[in-house]
Amino acid sequence: MTPLKIGVALAALGFSTVAQAADGSAVLKTYADIAAAKYEDSLITARALGDAVDALVAAPSEETLAAAKSAWRAARVPYQQTEVYRFGNAMVDDWEGKVNAWPLDEGLIDYVDGGYGAQSAENALYAANVIANPTFEMSGETVDASDITPTFLAETLHEADEVEANVATGYHAIEFLLWGQDLNGTEAGAGRRPYTDFVMGEGCTGGNCDRRVDYLQAATDLLLSDLEDMVAAWGEGGAAHAEVMQDETAGLSAILTGMGSLSYGELAGERMRLGLMLNDPEEEHDCFSDNTHNSHYYDSLGIQNVYLGSYTRVDGTVVSGASLSDLVAAKDASLDAEVKSKLDATMTAMAAMKAAADTGEMAYDQMLAPGNAKGEAYIMGGVNGLVAQTKSIERVVSALGLNEIAVEGSDSLDNPGAVFQ
Amino acid sequence: MKRLFVVLVLGLLPVSAYATDDVANDATPPTTDHAALIQAVTNKHILPRYEALAETGATLAETATQHCSGTGPALRAAWGKAFDAWIGVSHLRFGPSETDNRAFSLAFWPDSRGKTPKALRGLILKGDDTLLMPAAFAVQSIAVQGYYAMEYLLYDPEFATLGAEGFRCDLVKAMAGNIALVTAAIRDDWVNGYAQTLITAGAEGNARYQTQAEGVQELFKALGTGLQVTSDMRLQRPLGTLDRPRPDRAEARLSGRSVRHVILSVEALDELAGLLSTGAPSLAGQFHDGFGYVREAALALDDPTFATVSDPGKRLNIETLQAVLEDLREIAAIELGAHLGVVAGFNALDGD
Repeated sequence: MTPLKIGVALAALGFSTVAQAADGSAVLKTYADIAAAKYEDSLITARALGDAVDALVAAPSEETLAAAKSAWRAARVPYQQTEVYRFGNAMVDDWEGKVNAWPLDEGLIDYVDGGYGAQSAENALYAANVIANPTFEMSGETVDASDITPTFLAETLHEADEVEANVATGYHAIEFLLWGQDLNGTEAGAGRRPYTDFVMGEGCTGGNCDRRVDYLQAATDLLLSDLEDMVAAWGEGGAAHAEVMQDETAGLSAILTGMGSLSYGELAGERMRLGLMLNDPEEEHDCFSDNTHNSHYYDSLGIQNVYLGSYTRVDGTVVSGASLSDLVAAKDASLDAEVKSKLDATMTAMAAMKAAADTGEMAYDQMLAPGNAKGEAYIMGGVNGLVAQTKSIERVVSALGLNEIAVEGSDSLDNPGAVFQ
Repeated sequence: MKRLFVVLVLGLLPVSAYATDDVANDATPPTTDHAALIQAVTNKHILPRYEALAETGATLAETATQHCSGTGPALRAAWGKAFDAWIGVSHLRFGPSETDNRAFSLAFWPDSRGKTPKALRGLILKGDDTLLMPAAFAVQSIAVQGYYAMEYLLYDPEFATLGAEGFRCDLVKAMAGNIALVTAAIRDDWVNGYAQTLITAGAEGNARYQTQAEGVQELFKALGTGLQVTSDMRLQRPLGTLDRPRPDRAEARLSGRSVRHVILSVEALDELAGLLSTGAPSLAGQFHDGFGYVREAALALDDPTFATVSDPGKRLNIETLQAVLEDLREIAAIELGAHLGVVAGFNALDGD
């Protein structure tokens, strides 16, 4: 967990104990309140997804499948805005892999196109197809997959054989079950799984519809219970909430670690720039549904609303309070203005990318095609914005008083001569 | 640091050169001359290494035009020297190396989803020569460019016979030629501007580095990045877990260079850490001893590809290398950070 290392280093180096008087705890309270609201919104919209999945299973049709897909997309809107909480908070980061792990070797779960291939040097379960196989071999032992339950998915199948690409749970497993593989490469179009893949008995396509339905419902139930855990963790008296409030220094560094790590290494690097450099639509974050532009947009929005201390909930109400922005402005108004303008610039670029995809001008996977200069410009606009804002976030770390500090838990505390003067 | 000392004492490969005295009380006041520090690192560490990268890249391209067979000793030797030079700068991931995705096109690794063999297969079987022209090749997927992609053509038996021999030959030339262009571009940007930008950190109008501390932080982050890549990737990927070691994931395993890369990396990091520790001799000593230990112990493994991660009796030797690097990471983050008055900040490896 590399980002945690940095978090620890930031926390260990510590912020000045004199710099940010009482305001810090108010900022942390807003941060925790917004987290609680975002995870609660994620749960509310995931429950709607659960209802839509039940309706699909009860009466499979074009309409019920489309409604389930639409509920999935809506559920992503608040969830993506929580991602800024990941890297700074150990509790979130340890939990996150259950709900948003990506990318996945989807052949683990269900049937795939012949072009997917039958094996991978990295993953022995690359094409295990659990939906079609009530038993399968793993590391020389037979695994009983006769009952596809939330427990089986969470404890046996997820990250089976210690391979991260064996993603059996969470949003992206559900996404694959609703959409199927996107076989359009860098052309327009998402996955096109027929609703008949969920038809019981005669009329079932893709085989084993009963097990596919079991899988979809188990994965959805599991998503709900995992989200319930996180809602509880951020509520009053919850462990994540308490952890953030416990220590002002560590809490503020958690906010900044989350903002910087998501901006730079994760979103700008792994999720956006890498896919572009590989010209590879399999590197899309929401690759089955072609929803990647929204994922990136709402990730970035989450970074901005955490800094500004104001989040608009799915029902339109606003959760706001003392913000990191206020704290920075009190120390260095021009730095606060710099951060705000960088965050704005990123959102402008992300909005342009999102609009291009939403209006049908160019889907995100088309932007990845080799030689598509305009598509590259849309993606790189977002990447450049994120890279630039990271630099400003680093300046905030310094501005909040890092250079004046004694170091906790290292020899330097006992040896003042080693501390930078 | 006591932890480092403990690890070394417990390690199975004790190195007599390791100094156990004077690791704590450093009476020398830390340097505050950030400008001199940046200048020294730039002139003694960064510029010579990027010069070597460009020179070996040019030699590789020249050699490939004469000998394009993947099994030819001259080509393999030139590729090896060029790859060596890359490992020696692979921690310097900022500025010119990041322009136009240059570093990625030189070195796409780790390739945990097997993109390189897949993309190379596609390219070779398609056999379209127009994609090998310099301008066209430069915009192909990074998975088919650079040192790691070339390794498949030089050392993987599958690729020795795949597709048409003439196309493979032209592909080797295209890869080598692109490496030459990209490494020259990085060197030129450093020499013709970026070195000045870094050295003048904090000067009026320097938007990239608004303060001298930001310049120092960039170099400090490079040390952390190098330690992280070598520990978390070069060592951790093959180590896997005790129950599930992953020898197939060792870096550059086909060419037998896995341990070599660890050694080249710690040599470069030792040089950088020494420069950054100017004014704090005991800190410099801790780094030098720690890196020296990793270097000697890696050589003593007598296992060029970390195949012994699967041998319960020998695996501990490799885990020990990693433990020492983890201690050095901690020393860098806490001790060196305090000495320099900077904090780690963010790097491209944040995330998952």
